[in-house]
Amino acid sequence: MVITLETLTKRYGATLAVDGLDLAVRPGLVTGFLGPNGAGKSTTLRMILGLDRPTSGRALIDGRPYSSYAWPLRKVGAVLEAKAAHPGRTGRNHLLAMARSNGIPAARVDEVLARAGLGGAARKRTGTYSLGMGQRLGIAGALLGDPPVLILDEPVNGLDPDGVRWIRGLMRELAAEGRTVLVSSHLLSEMQVTADHLIVIGNGRLLADAPLEQILAGHASLEDAYYTLTEGSALR
Amino acid sequence: MTMLRATIGAEWIKLWSTRTVWWALTAALVLMAAGAGQYALYANNGDIDENSAGEIAALGLSFAQLAFIALASIVMTGEYSAGTIRATLTWTPLRPRLLLAKSVVVAAVTLVAGTIVGFVGTLVAASILDDSSMGAAAPKMGLYLALLGVFAVGLGAALRGPVITLVVLLMLVVVVPPLLQVPDLAVLNTIADALPGVAGERFLNENSYAGLLIVTAWAAGAFLIGARVLDRRDA
Repeated sequence: MVITLETLTKRYGATLAVDGLDLAVRPGLVTGFLGPNGAGKSTTLRMILGLDRPTSGRALIDGRPYSSYAWPLRKVGAVLEAKAAHPGRTGRNHLLAMARSNGIPAARVDEVLARAGLGGAARKRTGTYSLGMGQRLGIAGALLGDPPVLILDEPVNGLDPDGVRWIRGLMRELAAEGRTVLVSSHLLSEMQVTADHLIVIGNGRLLADAPLEQILAGHASLEDAYYTLTEGSALR
Repeated sequence: MTMLRATIGAEWIKLWSTRTVWWALTAALVLMAAGAGQYALYANNGDIDENSAGEIAALGLSFAQLAFIALASIVMTGEYSAGTIRATLTWTPLRPRLLLAKSVVVAAVTLVAGTIVGFVGTLVAASILDDSSMGAAAPKMGLYLALLGVFAVGLGAALRGPVITLVVLLMLVVVVPPLLQVPDLAVLNTIADALPGVAGERFLNENSYAGLLIVTAWAAGAFLIGARVLDRRDA
């Protein structure tokens, strides 16, 4: 199931946050989404999920806009912010409401809680969660609808080494199952060991869309390759 | 329809899974019992004109409705203050459906809880007044509060901020009407009559269906504006 961007553009006043992105994110791979702060990564992800309206162009999932799906959580699992749950609600109730909203059986909640390694904390209010537990709850929510597409915005932020390792394994696993995995990150060394394919943007424009090996070719590390690509685009 | 039911189900779980709802409903009950009790004592002493249990309970409602207003507005504005709105909209990308589901849940809860609170107020007033005529005051209070609840949800969607929403609600329902009525000028009185709080009082005390219609219009108007703003703006 492919994510397609067709000259996707977002303008805020005089600023072009996303400038005519044309690309396809393919299944069976972990696709890393890289770029400096303010490059337009989060805006792009929000437009894919129907949260922000494009100024022009389209973002499609399997040929249709996200908001056209009756049960979107069964198509796309997304982790947008570390803590998307109300602090006064327990993790389990958060997922129960989420499941109910998309006609997903309640039994699935305990399955994803176990897979995210959150079993014990599930009945605690999410306000008491650490950043890492919040990320695990977000991942559990993304897996709830068993979706063929996963979109993760900075999923390793705030995770301890065990957590980072767990997310890395999970993303590899999900891609190996044939799912489409799009993950944004600032951590280049992490992307170097996780991603199969990279999309790099700067100032809202596409700088690279190529397999990891191709981007790495001729550079000592992804960090070196990244700086060559984004040179001059970090500052406007 | 299946999708709307699912969204309503999710919003129902969300409402009852934080403590806010319990605080608000307890506050409503306490405010009503205390307010109705106090006004019933005044009535017994001949200090106020109202003398039926239903009228006294309606006076108590002027306090108790604050708790219902707070609860209803937070159902929408809480999504923005807690930062959960984006997550919620990924579950339910059709935004008018989300607002409709929230309105249905709030209306159902305020209708039932409002009727119970109204009944308690009437009971307290009746026991102090030795007035055994209960009348239809309680279900009418439930209906008024349900409409006020939908108004608060819609306004929350239009304004987003919890504080600004609550301030505007209190202005329209509680603060502005008496200020307009003080000079006793026909034009100012007419404006006050068109505000939801005064219209609601007319409905409760004088059985005025024009009053009910005015509150309904505020609820419908806020819902439509809220749905439009929610749909148009980036989350």
